[in-house]
Amino acid sequence: MPAIVCTAKASCKKLPGTLELTDTHLQWTQEGKKAPSIRVAYAEANSLFCSKENAPQVRLKIAPVGNDAGHNFTFTSPQPIAYQERERFKKELTAIIARNKAVTPNAPTLALSLPGGPATPIPSLPSTPLPLTNGGATPKLSAAVLPSRPATSRAASVAASDRRGTPAITGNDPATDFRLRKRVLMNNPELGTLHRELVMTGQISEAEFWDGREHLLLAQAASESQRRGKPGQLVDPRPETVEGGEIKIRITPQLVHDIFDEYPVVARAYSENVPQNLTEAEFWKRYFQSKLFNAHRASIRSSATQHVVKEDPILDKYLEKDDDGIEPRRQRSEKPELFLDLGATSEDHGELTVERDITMQAGRQKGAIPLIRKFNEHSERLLNSALGDLPPSKRRRLDEEYSQIEIDDLRDEGSSNGIVLEMQDRERYFEGSMAGNANKGNVNGTPLDPRAIVWEAKNSLNDWEKNLSQLKIDRKPGDSALLSMTQNVAARLDVRSRKNDIPAGLFREMTTCQTAANEFLRQYWSATLPQPPELQTAATATPAQRASKAVKMIGYLSKTPEKVQALVDTATASGLDASRVEVAMKPVLDAVNHALVFHRNKEAAAAVRRGR
Amino acid sequence: MCDLKRTLDATGHCVLEMPSGTGKTVSLLSLIVSYQQFYPTKRKLVYCSRTVPEIEKALTELKRLMAYRVECAETEEQKEKERNFFGMGLTSRKNLCINPEVAKEKKGKVVDAKCRDLTNTAVCEKARADPGSVPICDWHENLGQLEPGSLIPSGIWTLEDVLEYGREKVICPYFAVRRMLAFADVVIYSFHYLLDPKVAEQVSKELSKDAIVVFDEAHNIDNVCIESLSIDLTRPMLDSASRSIVKLGERIDEIKTTDAAKLQDEYAKLVEGLQESEPSDEDAIMGNPVLPDDLLSEAIPGNIRKAEHFVAFLKRFVEYLKTRMRVLHVVAETPLSFLQHLKDITYIERRPLRFCAERLQSLIRTLELSRLDEHASLQKVAGFATLVATYEKGFLLILEPFETEAATVPNPVFHFTCLDPSLAIKPVFERFSSVVITSGTISPLDMYPKMLQFTPVVQETYPMTLTRNAFLPLVITRGSDQVAISSRFEVRNDPAVVRNFGSILVEYSKTVPDGIVAFFPSYLYMESIVAAWNDMGILNEVWKHKLIFVETPDANETSIALENYRRACDNGRGAVLLSVARGKVSEGIDFDHNYGRAVIMFGVPYQYTESRILKARLEYLRDAYRIRESEFLGFDAMRNAAQCVGRVLRGKTDWGLMVFADKRFARADKRSKLPRWINQYITETASNLSTDMALTLSKLFMRTISQNPNENQTGVSLWALEDIEKAQAKQKALALEAEQRAGSDDEYGDGGFSDNALMDFELDV
Repeated sequence: MPAIVCTAKASCKKLPGTLELTDTHLQWTQEGKKAPSIRVAYAEANSLFCSKENAPQVRLKIAPVGNDAGHNFTFTSPQPIAYQERERFKKELTAIIARNKAVTPNAPTLALSLPGGPATPIPSLPSTPLPLTNGGATPKLSAAVLPSRPATSRAASVAASDRRGTPAITGNDPATDFRLRKRVLMNNPELGTLHRELVMTGQISEAEFWDGREHLLLAQAASESQRRGKPGQLVDPRPETVEGGEIKIRITPQLVHDIFDEYPVVARAYSENVPQNLTEAEFWKRYFQSKLFNAHRASIRSSATQHVVKEDPILDKYLEKDDDGIEPRRQRSEKPELFLDLGATSEDHGELTVERDITMQAGRQKGAIPLIRKFNEHSERLLNSALGDLPPSKRRRLDEEYSQIEIDDLRDEGSSNGIVLEMQDRERYFEGSMAGNANKGNVNGTPLDPRAIVWEAKNSLNDWEKNLSQLKIDRKPGDSALLSMTQNVAARLDVRSRKNDIPAGLFREMTTCQTAANEFLRQYWSATLPQPPELQTAATATPAQRASKAVKMIGYLSKTPEKVQALVDTATASGLDASRVEVAMKPVLDAVNHALVFHRNKEAAAAVRRGR
Repeated sequence: MCDLKRTLDATGHCVLEMPSGTGKTVSLLSLIVSYQQFYPTKRKLVYCSRTVPEIEKALTELKRLMAYRVECAETEEQKEKERNFFGMGLTSRKNLCINPEVAKEKKGKVVDAKCRDLTNTAVCEKARADPGSVPICDWHENLGQLEPGSLIPSGIWTLEDVLEYGREKVICPYFAVRRMLAFADVVIYSFHYLLDPKVAEQVSKELSKDAIVVFDEAHNIDNVCIESLSIDLTRPMLDSASRSIVKLGERIDEIKTTDAAKLQDEYAKLVEGLQESEPSDEDAIMGNPVLPDDLLSEAIPGNIRKAEHFVAFLKRFVEYLKTRMRVLHVVAETPLSFLQHLKDITYIERRPLRFCAERLQSLIRTLELSRLDEHASLQKVAGFATLVATYEKGFLLILEPFETEAATVPNPVFHFTCLDPSLAIKPVFERFSSVVITSGTISPLDMYPKMLQFTPVVQETYPMTLTRNAFLPLVITRGSDQVAISSRFEVRNDPAVVRNFGSILVEYSKTVPDGIVAFFPSYLYMESIVAAWNDMGILNEVWKHKLIFVETPDANETSIALENYRRACDNGRGAVLLSVARGKVSEGIDFDHNYGRAVIMFGVPYQYTESRILKARLEYLRDAYRIRESEFLGFDAMRNAAQCVGRVLRGKTDWGLMVFADKRFARADKRSKLPRWINQYITETASNLSTDMALTLSKLFMRTISQNPNENQTGVSLWALEDIEKAQAKQKALALEAEQRAGSDDEYGDGGFSDNALMDFELDV
């Protein structure tokens, strides 16, 4: 039974009921019903709206991801109480939503890779020494709290772009490493809890905790090092019309940067004129009124607006002729790959002696040609900004010529090498099987005669139809099977219908105990079992270290039964059925015992070996 | 392959349609090469393709094939034989020149002219006599020092290889290939080298009669035929021609004073007859525009033998053409009536006119003119004169004073058009015993024999076996708002149609990964619609998802755009390429795999039906071959559409969407003209969709198709050697059975008792 953070009476769709905030879900139960009819998981909560402070009805609306309609709740308690209740919900939910927003741009699926254990996220983590800015950030509790998604994502991308240079490999720079770890913990409340319980209490060290979880750090580093690409759109500042017929264009540093990037000629004009001849504001004002701007606009309507445009002695100098000829004004010297060289075809045979009809003559629409050229250039620039300029050596790939003509599905698939089975004591296995075979041969005396076997099999299949029709199943086993199935179903139903009444505190303790044990187990096995080859990095611990770690973990694990016993005792003390707690903790105990036994055997074997 | 073998054995012609991307080129090549290697006669293979990239690809395939054959040859002797196999490709000087002085020129014509200035016999002789007096091409000179016949070692040479070899050995690749043509087993070049009499005369004359000729990508072959016999003249051309005539006159006067003997010599030669002055074909300045059969083997008539007389003759002719161009209404007349009129006005007879081109060639050679590109217009006029005087049937002269209906400023064009594609290809069919015409899309098959006037031995279209439907053809007839979409002339600029076309592009750019190619019916329409989309903000939507590249008028610029398009597709950024159905990009560029996950055909790519030339051609087709106008137009549009969409598929793991966005594609008569391998996948439901329905289908398709593509296709659509053997055995068994059945039928055929039965009969006598 999940812990309830707060509850209140509230109606939804005019039906009275109870609104509850548990530590995983926000749920609403209609009066008289047992199961909640609305459940919103924390991770789904997307936005929250509240009614005004002095409105007659106290309302709260929550919208989960992918459902903008959301759910409307009206608090039905008398006025001052309702308001207080609402405020409480609002505070909790705001924190949750803020955390969701912070998590989503990064890696929302990271939680999947965690070891098992019930989810125990805690809304805020006050005891963590790590500064949790996101969790604590409960921005303005005004009438509508809706942290805007673009804003956060932008912020994240800016932050990411700062660290563009950091390598994806963790552990090089302690500061980066620490920051990464912090981020992973913050994005994963469950992992954060585990970390707090184990590392903060000093049970295992920080390094041990992260051992085997490197992939989380790597994923985090990778997602952070992703650069946001340039937006694809053409730079086309659309003027807004303000009252009074004036036209306004908002100039942002981003826009200025884009314009300079897109039109180097403007950058040149700017650098040549701005401090000396014109002020910055004046420059932009004149630019947006100039012919230059209209020539740059991604529109062929610019010819229509020509008459509005003023002559500008300074900027008109930079005006270039329209690039609307059949041949581009700027000839490109580079030769494309021969497989794509269209020019080669047109020069392949003598010039055409006939002209194509007018619809097929390219470049008849003078207005569209500069536009088309601009598209191509813009796309190329975008590509180059992402990939870097095309290296000239790549232009003519001679060695790859076959790749152009090959149809890959006509190739034989290369058979994979498969994974080599590594066996301990290979010789013994083979010897054993050989010996077994030899024995068998001895027993039979003669090699097997396949014909005889087939004959035998055939004989045994004779009259199978008759045999089958004679086959009768005894009534009793059938009945008993059915009975056991029914019982099984009944038992399940029983379990399901039984009310989950373990008190929240105990439940939480049980979960903690279990996750902790799980972590110890994980540490133990990772220290004991041979490591997968691909994970063998430089940082791999030496055998001695691993052995000592295993011993330490065993030490912790051996205490687990005591802890479970303590839990059982608490349960009995609070008047609960202790057996249920025992049942719940049994898998953990079994696992722990298995580890303990394994360890003991290993120790014994080692002792024997030493004794020899 | 069996069909092909049949054709080769029967020494006849055939038409084959094989779906694109199924290894058409390599199957053709491998069979023919085996055939060549097996028979000692060594029939030469002439493989014609359409574009340089395709030629290069075919050469690469051949190279690969030969590498394999060498590897698989059993004995050392056979290996040697395979190694001695000699194949190469030929293209223009522009593409093969490595002399930096010449190669830097942009125009092919200028390169040709400059090259001739440096390499013609007269110049070479002069240079040899007196080194340093005139500039010559070192690369060409070095060739002369090598033994003819072994300029290039045997093997397979792609264009790129030849260039590399030329650079290394400092020899001219162009002339090396030209001189080695006679020794090659396989020659790969473009249609024009065989079909255009101007070029064919110089290049392909020596090909033996038993050569095997393959026209690959031959769906546009009729247009190539027509173009090679048609000439357009414009006003600026005539002006330039008269300037050239003046220059010629001056030059003649100059030579008269310095070297009168030369002219006298030429005159004497001409009196004796043209044949003796046969120059080496490398020096040929311009080919005769007339087909070889129609060449007159007579001496040049007396009135144009003298140089100054000929110049005056040309002058008169040009002036006459100029006056004709002043007319402000459309004139269409037959060559005969033109000649009659010409004779009435200027007293120019038909006979001298026929020799115009030849005489000009001889004169230019005598005068040792340089920079021939400046005289291109004059050559054109001379070619025009010769053609007009030679042909009567199947040709038409059209004078169009205005470019469009609405134009007010006259820009007269004098078209001399060939209406009958069979004329240009006739010599090819007559001369070569086996001609194979093949393409991915030449449905309906019977159209080609009809148009080109030949009788094929084999005519076959092959289906495509696929383990899964690798492509999804969709016909979108209306937008999401149910407004019918069409590129019909009356509605194509309707905002609703433009917007609906736009929304198709936007929606597909959202859903389809990597590359999308969109084709428009014409440049004019593409340019106007791109501008309109930009104004409507539709392209801004597209920019959000993909980069946009557009085909431009300039070929090099477009190639660079294409290259960037491919990079964007490789990178995963995704891009849209807007191009034109009959344009540069639609021919010879593959959009396989991620380079084209969807092809959108905006509108039906009809020809410009207002064109008078097209109208005349349609009329001719109707009268001469009983092909209805609408049938031909539909056929022509659909073969272009199929050509565009067919480029998405290459190989069986590839997949792509084919979107036909026009109301008219839904009609059965249009669809039936698509190749069968496309048509069979158009379901009834997919033939009449609105944008949103099409999108739903596309999404569904993409989800299923993007599942595991590596499932084992062997045995289903791919056959290993054992499968083939099994199939052959089965076939043989079937044949045997059929034979037996036939045999046993015979036995009981007469309905009587067999002899055995009679013998078994116990006769009670």
